[in-house]
Amino acid sequence: MHKLPIIKSIRLYLVSFSFVYRNNFFGLLMGIAFGFFMSHAGATTYDYHAKMFLFQDFQLLIVIAMAVVIAMIGVTLMKKFHVTAIATGAEVDFVKKPYQKGLIAGAMLFGIGWGMTASCPGTIPAMIGEGKIAGIFALVGLLIGTMAYGILQSYIRLEKAQKNTSES
Amino acid sequence: MEVVVWSAWIAGIAMGLFVIFHFWLMGKPAGCSTGYGNFCGMMFKRVEYFRTGEYKNINNSRLWFLLGIPIGGLISALGSPEPWHFSFDMGMYNDILPQTLAGKAIWLIFGGALLGFGARLAGACTTGHALVGGAMMNPPSLLAGAIFFMSAFLTTHLLFGT
Repeated sequence: MHKLPIIKSIRLYLVSFSFVYRNNFFGLLMGIAFGFFMSHAGATTYDYHAKMFLFQDFQLLIVIAMAVVIAMIGVTLMKKFHVTAIATGAEVDFVKKPYQKGLIAGAMLFGIGWGMTASCPGTIPAMIGEGKIAGIFALVGLLIGTMAYGILQSYIRLEKAQKNTSES
Repeated sequence: MEVVVWSAWIAGIAMGLFVIFHFWLMGKPAGCSTGYGNFCGMMFKRVEYFRTGEYKNINNSRLWFLLGIPIGGLISALGSPEPWHFSFDMGMYNDILPQTLAGKAIWLIFGGALLGFGARLAGACTTGHALVGGAMMNPPSLLAGAIFFMSAFLTTHLLFGT
């Protein structure tokens, strides 16, 4: 045990705790904001999804188009002025998702799922928060789907590793 | 459970500012579906894919982002005029989905599995590809976003028989 006074030890504990978990806390805050805005944008209401694809109500289409335009302006400005991130202190990393094998097939499967459940991975937790039971089932399915991909990838890696060892 | 829905323009501006603020605060693009991988890695320790590579450190901000979303939804729902309660009302989908509870559950689980598998195969979900990828003008993301919409459009039209 250390022999620091109790007030100081508590303070040091809090400081170290906040250093370790600060990013997670920021993530939690951003998640709350995301769920709040998604919910108020109507993305958690099933009818808006159906009506968007049936061309009856363009609520969600306007939301996403507006958001992309605003964010595009913001990203351009941030790139120009080399803004540093608050959490890391490093320059903001605009890492782009690369093209990966199966992107087209995956996107098609995702779209079918979107049409079937009228929800996407970002809105399902918000639906649960709103008390929509359908969201719980969709979440179970979502975890099963993610799990299936992970198991598949693990098997592919295992097979590759075995091939490498048998060749050498 | 009905929530107060803002005007599309205001909500769109709020989402856009959210994406910008996420970049500024976290220094990386916002994403949802990757967090589910962290969650799977937490639950099943033996699946190697969710313990290595980008999932090396699974107790990260992406996971906490995901945990925050229900709280946001809850706050939003508490602001609505009616009291908070559980509901299985799916609006227009009530008529076209299987009528029994078990049928609906199986339908939703199957749809959710397609969402999860497709999102991992495509690399990101609607947030990562259409919203953030679109804002960065990333060609693969724009392609993926277009296919998301096309595929969901076709599925919805088939479901509603129009």
